[in-house]
Amino acid sequence: MTQKKLVIALAGNANVGKSVIFNYLTGLHQHIGNWPGKTVERAEGTLHFKGYMIDVLDLPGIYSLSTFSIEELVSREYIAVERPDLVINVVDASVLERNLLFTLQLIELETPMIIALNQMDMAERKGVEIDVEKLENILGIPVVPTVAIKGKGLFELLKEALDVIEGRVKTKPMEVRYGKEIEERIKKIARMVEKAKLRYPPRYVAVKLLEGDEEIKREVNKADPQIVATTENLTREVEAAHGHACTTLIASERCEIAGCITRETQRFVPPIKPTMEERMDAITTHRILGYPIMIISLLAVFYSIFTVGDYAAGLLEELFYGWKPIFESLLGVGVAGKLIWGGILEGFIAGILVALPYIAPFYFMLYVLEDSGYLSRIAFLMDNVMHKIGLHGKAFIPLMLGYGCNVPACLGCRIMETERERFLAAFATTLIPCAARTVIIFGLVGEFIGIQWALMLYLINLLVIFVLGRLAFKILPGEPTALIMEMPDYRMPHLKTVLKETWFRLEELIKVAFPLIIVSSLAVKLLEVTGILGPIAAILSPITVTWLGLPAIAGVTLIFGVLRKELTLIMLATLLGTTDFAQVLTPIQMVVFTLVTMFYIPCIATIAALIKEFGWRRALIITVFEIAFAIFTGGMALRLLTMLGI
Amino acid sequence: MELPLTALKNGESGIITSINIGGEGRHGMGRQFKHHMGSRYHTMRLEKRLMDMGLTLGTKVTVLRSAPFHGPLEVNARGARLILGRGMAERIFVRVER
Repeated sequence: MTQKKLVIALAGNANVGKSVIFNYLTGLHQHIGNWPGKTVERAEGTLHFKGYMIDVLDLPGIYSLSTFSIEELVSREYIAVERPDLVINVVDASVLERNLLFTLQLIELETPMIIALNQMDMAERKGVEIDVEKLENILGIPVVPTVAIKGKGLFELLKEALDVIEGRVKTKPMEVRYGKEIEERIKKIARMVEKAKLRYPPRYVAVKLLEGDEEIKREVNKADPQIVATTENLTREVEAAHGHACTTLIASERCEIAGCITRETQRFVPPIKPTMEERMDAITTHRILGYPIMIISLLAVFYSIFTVGDYAAGLLEELFYGWKPIFESLLGVGVAGKLIWGGILEGFIAGILVALPYIAPFYFMLYVLEDSGYLSRIAFLMDNVMHKIGLHGKAFIPLMLGYGCNVPACLGCRIMETERERFLAAFATTLIPCAARTVIIFGLVGEFIGIQWALMLYLINLLVIFVLGRLAFKILPGEPTALIMEMPDYRMPHLKTVLKETWFRLEELIKVAFPLIIVSSLAVKLLEVTGILGPIAAILSPITVTWLGLPAIAGVTLIFGVLRKELTLIMLATLLGTTDFAQVLTPIQMVVFTLVTMFYIPCIATIAALIKEFGWRRALIITVFEIAFAIFTGGMALRLLTMLGI
Repeated sequence: MELPLTALKNGESGIITSINIGGEGRHGMGRQFKHHMGSRYHTMRLEKRLMDMGLTLGTKVTVLRSAPFHGPLEVNARGARLILGRGMAERIFVRVER
């Protein structure tokens, strides 16, 4: 049986429950990739419904269809050029007016659409009542009330979607009309555009031209430069008459339309008692209490992850190494056996030992915090601090990710608005001690010198990030962006969405990092087998022995550390022939060794992530700088600590 | 009375009369911000983002609270709760009845 195919796109603002609907509709049949040539995520899934195979596409959460961000451009081009059979505009019922701004733009794009009026339960609790029928009549588009988190209304949504696609329900979207002055000019331009035959509807092009949309301007210019010239004249006329930019006027009028619709369809009766969510919100963003609560909750998250992780890692390790004799009996202990076990398999196992017990729960907790709305509160509280290093509150999120693993943290810097901020944030995240580095800090310094020294290293690390971040911010040319973000209401995290998110991050990590870990693990094993490690240690000795005061073989372990940071400790134990480091290293040596490991290059997987996001040159700059900085800091620490006689 | 958004007390509302991102804030707080505000594209982009979030001329904005240590402001505009960096909030001027 050949199935009829359909494409439906989900579009809407951030935090409206779009991905919950997407997950609900597509279940496990999902594919997350990137838009061709862009760093914007593209989530696609399939669904079978009433004899159709429906391809569902989850567009990025955006607030507009202009071209100031890649996400917006991608979404607009997709809707206008690839023309899905239907767009489902997901609207947050509790923030109707602001959400309608986007709906109006979709209507202007003249795409077939219906509306999912989501989070109806939240709206109700906040005292927002919406006359759905009236809203439907004004917009001329079917509106289906939903509570996606509970799966309510989604069947009706799909049915409505098919009714519209199959033509059983006729839609007659309202016309978005502006004030007389602007309207006349839109008509004039639209008439000219009609002849030029563009990918977008003429009226839409006219509005965007008046709004000064560069991308549309370029496209129109190719077709007919006369139109652009006329538009510029018309824009100047409007601006001279009103004293405000044409863009501002159009946006204001569009907002006014959304405001009118909202006033007609929405009744707001604020509840007398503050809701639970509101009380939690008040406490967690309290000017004094907010900070200790933040610190305690983050520490609790880290502590529980590392405690549970340690235990789980121990179990897994026993399991994997239990197979070693079996492999040795199969492959022998010759060179080939050593390469396969020690190179390929051990690389793989070690990757899993960090990814499964530490990073997976870490992501999970982080996405729970994000989905509940707490991360936005942290961004609010930390904005001021982040500004000191040229970033804003949102950058705190990739920095947090960095404590789990630097690779996804670097990729996570995409949430920043500009290239410069992405780079600054990525630079800062590579200095954050990830799970592997934490193993060293606690396994060496924490275990053999004292926990307070380990914590001290964390403080030093924060200080260094602050100073270096600030330096980079001063050196790099460009302008910082201010924080503009929505404060979502607190809500119960949606388990399925959180699990999906965790899995996709983990998958991304495995794709980027694992091949490199395994290949380089093999390469280093080759060096070892061929006996080149000794000479390398000798070459490095001026740095390791003379400047850093470490045993010569430490140089070898630092090379291994490039693969994965925790290998430095494992190798140190192997090469020194003991795990009781107190016998072979002085406390100062331990501190120096840990400091160097903490700061010198992000591991090979992080470098790969940096290359992917910023290109070779910038990845190299960060790498070289951090090696030099680590060696410098280590040497300075040695001299300082010796001088102080600690 | 026309005031920057940052001059409003918690719970106070005003109507947006101008958004002056290209210019200077009236108070010293946005200094770190000021010298970076050069490029026109950047300015347009920020203004556009504000408008997309519903902060246009004539919009009623209520300040809900501000983060400590001169941190960002939380405001309500068009039924949505937004967080605005202080440097940004300083450049949004509102008419207040006092």
